[in-house]
Amino acid sequence: MVQYLLEDSRVVDFVSHLQACKTVYAPHRKGTSSFAFAPVDDPTAVVLDYNRTLHSVKKYFLPPTETLLSFDLRTNEFTESEIVPCDAVFLGVHSYDLRAVHKLDHNFRQENPEKNYLRRREEAAFVGVSFEPDAFHFSGSVGIGSRDSSGFDVFLTRIAAGYILTAHTPVGQELVDGFVMPEYTGDLPVPPGFKQHIYVPQDKLSEVFEHSYRNDVWLETAEKCVGCGTCNLVCPTCYCFNVEDTVEITIDGGSRARTWDGCMLRSFTEVAGGEVFREESAARQRHRVYRKFKYISDRTGEPWCVGCGRCNQACTAGISIVSIVNRLVNDYDREVVETA
Amino acid sequence: MTNASRTPSAESRDLYLPVMAAITDIRKMTEFETLYEITLPGGAELGHQPGQFVEVSLFGMGEAPFSVSSSPTRKGSFEMGVRRVGMLTDVMDRMQLGEKIGVRGPFGNGVPVEKFKGKDVLIVAGGIGLVPMRSMINYVLDNRGDFDRLIICYGARSDGELLFTDELKMWADDPRVEFHVTVDHGSTAWTGHTGVITTLIPGLDLDMPQTRVLVCGPPVMYRFVLLALRSKGVAEENIYMSLERRMKCGVGKCGHCQINSSYVCQDGPVYHYPDLKGLQEAL
Amino acid sequence: MAKPRVGIFDFTGCEGCELNQLNFEDQLLDILGHVDIVEWREAMDGQVDELDIAFVEGSLSTPECITRIHEIRRKSKVLVALGACAVQGGVNAMKNTRPIEEVREEVYGDQKYLFPTLPALPLSAVVKVDFAVRGCPMTQIEFLKVFTSLVMGKAPIEPDSAVCVECKLKENECVVDKGMICLGPITRMGCGARCPTFGQYCNGCRGLVSAPNIEGMQEILVEKGLAMDEAWKRLQLYNANQLEGVQR
Ligand SMILES: Cc1cc2nc3c(=O)[nH]c(=O)nc-3n(C[C@H](O)[C@H](O)[C@H](O)COP(=O)(O)OP(=O)(O)OC[C@H]3O[C@@H](n4cnc5c(N)ncnc54)[C@H](O)[C@@H]3O)c2cc1C
Ligand code: SF4
Ligand code: SF4
Ligand code: SF4
Ligand code: SF4
Ligand code: FES
Repeated sequence: MVQYLLEDSRVVDFVSHLQACKTVYAPHRKGTSSFAFAPVDDPTAVVLDYNRTLHSVKKYFLPPTETLLSFDLRTNEFTESEIVPCDAVFLGVHSYDLRAVHKLDHNFRQENPEKNYLRRREEAAFVGVSFEPDAFHFSGSVGIGSRDSSGFDVFLTRIAAGYILTAHTPVGQELVDGFVMPEYTGDLPVPPGFKQHIYVPQDKLSEVFEHSYRNDVWLETAEKCVGCGTCNLVCPTCYCFNVEDTVEITIDGGSRARTWDGCMLRSFTEVAGGEVFREESAARQRHRVYRKFKYISDRTGEPWCVGCGRCNQACTAGISIVSIVNRLVNDYDREVVETA
Repeated sequence: MTNASRTPSAESRDLYLPVMAAITDIRKMTEFETLYEITLPGGAELGHQPGQFVEVSLFGMGEAPFSVSSSPTRKGSFEMGVRRVGMLTDVMDRMQLGEKIGVRGPFGNGVPVEKFKGKDVLIVAGGIGLVPMRSMINYVLDNRGDFDRLIICYGARSDGELLFTDELKMWADDPRVEFHVTVDHGSTAWTGHTGVITTLIPGLDLDMPQTRVLVCGPPVMYRFVLLALRSKGVAEENIYMSLERRMKCGVGKCGHCQINSSYVCQDGPVYHYPDLKGLQEAL
Repeated sequence: MAKPRVGIFDFTGCEGCELNQLNFEDQLLDILGHVDIVEWREAMDGQVDELDIAFVEGSLSTPECITRIHEIRRKSKVLVALGACAVQGGVNAMKNTRPIEEVREEVYGDQKYLFPTLPALPLSAVVKVDFAVRGCPMTQIEFLKVFTSLVMGKAPIEPDSAVCVECKLKENECVVDKGMICLGPITRMGCGARCPTFGQYCNGCRGLVSAPNIEGMQEILVEKGLAMDEAWKRLQLYNANQLEGVQR
């Protein structure tokens, strides 16, 4: 595969070049110290050196709120909402976020393939960029390196002079065609290391979790957790949703929409009469973490957490999924491995 | 894992659009429960299995899951028994003949009827649990030759809360059915058995290896029924249970119905008991 | 179908919630088309014997209020509390945390014995409240939702998750990252995370979620730099009544 050098000074040109082909979504600054994906208007506003975006690109394929249908209460008829595919380039996506998209692909395909998500997602092209792990990233522990280019159409690897650009698919080749760059023949410096780790190989996790259902960590974490649901809402592999009808004030029509929901929220399992199936905060935390490391993993053979660090960074109570997992690993080693 | 990027999604479907179906009969069963007959456009078959459910939508109110109460052998329409408990069921309660509701489904796995064929079928239904079980009961009655004995244990809180009273009489009189009914608290007019549903089980004359059990009722009931079945000597692998959880999508996407690793709307609502033992949140 | 007969009432409050002061514009006309407003202190005289829906603003702080709210309850099929004062006792309830004598002294000076006051009670402390429109001032979109639901004859859905949820749905930058202290994690959503969306912290005006982890929240506030009693005061601003009996 040919490696090109995309110099820092030409990044803006490259963004403009992509814009000439398709709509481009890329990370932008948001607020005082955050980043968010947004459609590119001004190529100079694109930021490729960022730690993580508030939400992943999931928001384009599974929007935070999505109208499923609109209804007319006078005729009792409905019209379906149009699903517009994202025929666009997603520029500056980190490896873990693309991996998360692949996981969502699985969830929305299994058994009942869902048109809404799949149609939106199928035309998307991805231009990845490597990242420098900060205090929260731990994707390396779940098999996703900071320069992992798998699944990308084009990948940019950060080096001192700019980026090494590689095209990995015909679609990627098409995207870079016509944009002239020198070939890069230099070495690839060693990637920066991760600062956070899960201290067990991925394939051992299932075994650890087999043993951890009644661990004290669930109760201990529940003392600090305020049940705000933030950790679900920022997670690129969370996909649970609620569905609700809204009626217009004129009372002649309205719409049915789905909205992101999360298993950390108490109301998530509440049924008529007020019974809550997962009432204990500890049981909810356990469910969330088991969803990331056991339940789906047992069926697919992969962790369902991509190690982006969002849940930890965003939790006002400072709850860290890595600490929880490492605690389980420790207890497992002590109670099972050492006594065996 | 495969990368779905740019792979055709031709096989993907509209999962959330209902079919508009007409209410073609309404029978009030008790103060709170009503039986509805629903007819799909053109009299199309729902194509369900006993134990499956549909998502009913009333625009402006939302959707709620209801079991199909009629047997697939009864053609041209299907039935649902609905208990009035909240927003959507309140509005259903006020609906009139001919009005239309949205229907999605059938969803869920349903009863694995093959496993019951040639066997003695024991149905244990508590309260509203009779609604889905009635589909299986009538299925067995309509294919009577495929099954051996049909034993029904049904419990309600009081005689005023008994559902399908006409059918209960028919089953009681039908020599092909062994029918047992109990109420927790009988009125002065009640002459039948009094006591919770588990009190019916010890007296049953069961041919153990031959019996397949199907249980459906309110969450509190399961543990006690299991105990009673176990002390009767029923093997775990011969027990099936139908569970209920909060549901939204019905198609394994929204996450609400999950118990541990299992989606009740997809892997259930009918579970083989040995499979439930790994699901700590189930019972 | 006959139009629902509606009454609107107010008690002690800051008047920030009063319906006629809210900025409903053309929506107000749509609303009025669906109901008959038969009693509205501001706009009309006279009283009626029976109401389908009573909207009540303000908290209860005098014996006279108690008599009046009982009367309203008696003649109304559905009673809806409007705004933080009516729902939680509101900012008024702050005075519950100080001896009542002291408050009376401060407010009425020498004349304190002429005006017996009670702790500022939410309506639910005295009568059954069917539904609530929360917020200070009350959340307009929630009012419209509750209103449409009632006109349609369905029970409004009361949101019971944290403001953080709506904040995240909007992909706001968390104000805690800017060094602010935010009560969003245990405050009941429904306002669309109004304050954080404008870069401000949430001070809990919509009341707490059910089953809130108050000790956990206190720990967060202290962790973010508040002293224990400051943290407690912050939590109390709108929720003194709900916090009663909770260990500090
Ligand atoms: C597989 C299955 C089969 C069912 N079969 C029947 C049946 O045959 N007859 C019957 O009367 N009831 C049945 N139920 C229960 C029925 O779905 C609820 O009573 C109904 O959702 C209540 O809706 P509501 O709007 O009237 O109540 P509200 O309390 O206003 O409910 C609001 C929302 O909460 C959710 N919800 C509340 N209670 C339940 C619940 N128990 N289960 C799932 N979601 C809930 C729904 O999403 C509903 O839209 C079944 C439930 C499940 C899961
Ligand atoms: S973000 Fe933190 S406090 Fe909020 S629900 Fe998740 S773990 Fe609990
Ligand atoms: S669980 Fe946390 S670290 Fe893992 S993918 Fe979700 S947000 Fe990222
Ligand atoms: S700003 Fe407040 S409401 Fe928003 S996420 Fe942060 S803590 Fe929650
Ligand atoms: S963000 Fe908090 S303080 Fe602001 S309106 Fe909402 S609940 Fe009230
Ligand atoms: S009801 Fe949505 S996943 Fe089962």
